[in-house]
Amino acid sequence: MKFRRRREESLDNEIRDYIERETQENIEAGMPSEEARFAALRKLGPVLNIKEDTRAVWGWAWLESLAQDLRHGWRMLAKNPGFTLVAVLSLAIGIGANCATFSFADAILLRPLAVLRPSEVVTVGIPESLEGFSSLVASYRDYVDIRDQSKSFESLVAFSESSFGFAVQRDAPSQVRFGSLVSGNLFRVMGVEIELGRGFRPEEDQVPGRDAVVVLSHNLWERDFAADRTVLGRKVLINGVEFTVIGVAPERFTGLDPILRTDLYVPIMMWPRLTGDPKVNPLEARDRRSLTIKGRLKTGVTTSQARAELATIARNLERTYPETNRNREVEVRTELESRIRRSPPDAELTAMLSALSIAVLLAACANVASLLSSRAPVRAHEIALRLAIGAGRGRLIRQLLTESLLLALAGGAAGLAIGYAGIVFFRGIQIPTDLPVNFTFELDRRALLFSLIVALTSAVLFGLAPALQTTRADLISALRSTVSGIPGRRRMWGRNLLVAGQVATSLVLLTVATFIYRGFRHELAQGPGFRTDHLLMMSFNPSLVHYSESQAQQFFRRVAERARFTPGVRSAALAFSVPMSPTQDGATIVPEGYQFPAGRDSINVLADTVDENYFSTMAIQIVQGRGFLITDTARSPRVAVVNEELSKRYWPGQNPVGKRFRQDGRNGPWVEIVGVAKTTKYLWIAEPPTEFLYLPMSQHPQQRMTLLAESFGDASGLAEPLREVVRGLDANQPIYDIRTMEELYRMRAVNVPNMVIQPVAAMGMMGVLLAIVGLYGLVAYAAGRRTREIGIRMAIGAQRQAVLRMVMRQGLVLALCGIAVGLAASFGAERVLNAIFMATGIDIVTYLLVAPVLLAVTLLAAYIPARRASRVDPVRALRYE
Amino acid sequence: MLQGTLDMLILRTLLLGPAHGHAIAHAIERRSDDVLQVEHGSLYPALHRLVKQGLIAAREGTSENNRRAKYYSLTAKGRKKLAAEATKWERLTQAISGIMRPAEEEGGS
Repeated sequence: MKFRRRREESLDNEIRDYIERETQENIEAGMPSEEARFAALRKLGPVLNIKEDTRAVWGWAWLESLAQDLRHGWRMLAKNPGFTLVAVLSLAIGIGANCATFSFADAILLRPLAVLRPSEVVTVGIPESLEGFSSLVASYRDYVDIRDQSKSFESLVAFSESSFGFAVQRDAPSQVRFGSLVSGNLFRVMGVEIELGRGFRPEEDQVPGRDAVVVLSHNLWERDFAADRTVLGRKVLINGVEFTVIGVAPERFTGLDPILRTDLYVPIMMWPRLTGDPKVNPLEARDRRSLTIKGRLKTGVTTSQARAELATIARNLERTYPETNRNREVEVRTELESRIRRSPPDAELTAMLSALSIAVLLAACANVASLLSSRAPVRAHEIALRLAIGAGRGRLIRQLLTESLLLALAGGAAGLAIGYAGIVFFRGIQIPTDLPVNFTFELDRRALLFSLIVALTSAVLFGLAPALQTTRADLISALRSTVSGIPGRRRMWGRNLLVAGQVATSLVLLTVATFIYRGFRHELAQGPGFRTDHLLMMSFNPSLVHYSESQAQQFFRRVAERARFTPGVRSAALAFSVPMSPTQDGATIVPEGYQFPAGRDSINVLADTVDENYFSTMAIQIVQGRGFLITDTARSPRVAVVNEELSKRYWPGQNPVGKRFRQDGRNGPWVEIVGVAKTTKYLWIAEPPTEFLYLPMSQHPQQRMTLLAESFGDASGLAEPLREVVRGLDANQPIYDIRTMEELYRMRAVNVPNMVIQPVAAMGMMGVLLAIVGLYGLVAYAAGRRTREIGIRMAIGAQRQAVLRMVMRQGLVLALCGIAVGLAASFGAERVLNAIFMATGIDIVTYLLVAPVLLAVTLLAAYIPARRASRVDPVRALRYE
Repeated sequence: MLQGTLDMLILRTLLLGPAHGHAIAHAIERRSDDVLQVEHGSLYPALHRLVKQGLIAAREGTSENNRRAKYYSLTAKGRKKLAAEATKWERLTQAISGIMRPAEEEGGS
């Protein structure tokens, strides 16, 4: 860069020189001085063009020297394979970690919607939050009012996503498919070109219930129709209503939800005919807020202008419809903002991973910089020689940076392999649901570009300082000896701290991974407290096919009844949610006589709705009182079963059987506790004992239930006979989430811990690797600086062993400091983890396992350069004296 | 002006000895009897190109009245190139004048 500036100056001087000479000649020829100068400028021509043309000539020269630098850099790296390997490996770790993290963040948060100009799309609606999760929602009437009253937006679309029962033809079995009720303008506004057939016509967005037309997703078209192009005009059943297929959406468009993939699109006007509840018209009910509104701002309209306008609209709505819109704001959020607010834990997890991977990258860069510096004495000679024979410093810096660039690119390439391993790992995350969850972790163009940027940035980060330092060498002293003074104490301090920090951090990560591993092993050995073998489950939501509440309850009963008499079935039960499945229910209760702390008047507990066979089928022991009975009916007194934990918390030291609580808050009905169940695991394997409430299905009807069938033999063998049972009751009834308990348990209890342990352990291993490289670089650097001193010591009779000890002492001290700090931090981490797992006491084994291993490898890292230093030939070391 | 002509003129000028930009411009102008009128500025890209090609060399020096200036001189490679170009040019001009002379006679008659 400096080189270029100098050349620029030189050209300026040249041109100025010309003008001065020409002016002088003109004056001598008799021109007045002012005119003489103008004549000179005229003769020269346009200065800017001249400069531009000249620079164009340089441009190629610059490229040529780059090629030269690349060749030279390649030679230098090939000459030091050990150094190159270590540096590339460190960078690969740093870049790979960032690559994987980016792919994770992209899948969870960043990837733009597959629509036209996605960055312009904003979400509009009424904020609705639940324990920190906030989304913008609207009812259909809200949407119409906001759409018609606002002027800030080009256009607004609305959609509502849910599961539908879908059959490819009238007599075909119903499948659960995820679909979207959309406003007619959705495809047009989002710039989605329909692949086959057509999108919705404006008139199909006008009359409620008239236009039963459907656009299929590319995915559904391929899966259910084998990509048959004659699908247009076919009649399909959605929630039992006949629809005509009019189009297929393009493959890249998977809906407007960043996570869930939409399988079919129907006009929002068909909503009333598709809903399970005939009592409410969703197009009219202002408080049925399940729509999402998205749109684009008009050009020139800022977000704050739109926000102000929406505030006015919100007040209008509040005035006109106080009973449904009181205190309801209307907000606008960008796509990223809306994704973050919708699920803050995802954003937090992403931020945590990003911070961790940036730290890893910085540590890697610092290590490589340290390695490069450690080679400075070696290179100083070469560099000084080249400076002496007239090479420009700028050119030399450029050359050293080119070497760094080569290292970074090689590191980036290797990092992609590590990043890809991370991506494959993320892909292994399983979510036990039939919903089309669309987390696509990919090493796509975006991730590649990001990794390249990271690699280039890291080249500057680790390459610049050593390059500047190396070329600043004092010519005379550098040529005379390889020792150019002792570096500043503070510089060494920084490096020492960095290396010790790396040792400490990797120790913590490794011990934490080991703690978690041992903790989970302990929990898994204890078991979840319910049956995990010989169980098959399948779920039903008869409201999808228009069952009324009583029809649905009857259906559930009959399915369980018939299942019980199916060959191979030992017992069968019904439950709203299965332990450890992603859907869990809660209840608000007020225990009688309980003194609430100020500001609270009820408690929320996890709850499940089960039938009378649940406890025996799931092998959950009733320790006091009774489970549910067939005699607990909708007309008998309300009853409930609590678990030991809930009983211990609110009725300590008492027998809770016979005690009462109010359900659904202070004015809810009284419910009597009839039994106490043993505490089991409810959400995941490592949870602390959790309070839990069971309600009988007869007194607590749910739209959706899961059948649990206990088998004599292989549980998965029950799937077909039980499907037959359901088909016998209602051929159109969609069945979803068919899986064995073993499978669910493996996903949620066995694999999830691995999802935690493996990244932490991997980070720990990477940390150890980086710490080794860091320590090695540091000791090598220090030893290099002391070559002359070592030479003198050996010349006057120091033993090789003594030198070895002297050089290694520094590494040993750093490693011990790091391990000491790491151990202290691990004790802290263990206390936190002990609160999560019920593991007791200090886990000595872990420390005995991790700390010595770490000490051994770090000492090895210090030993290699120390050994080299102790082999220094005194004559060579002192040659320049 | 013909492509490459300016380059050749510069090389030809420097055959007489090192010179700075201003001198080269005037020498070319004088030697061609003011026929080749060019903007002197276009000289500089050409000079830098020739330096890059290794046909001429640039050196910072002190001029007659003790002023710092950039001097250009012919390299061995430049000398060879000039000789080759001169022969080529000779042949070209001969060919052109061979074609043009009868045309002038026709025009004159």
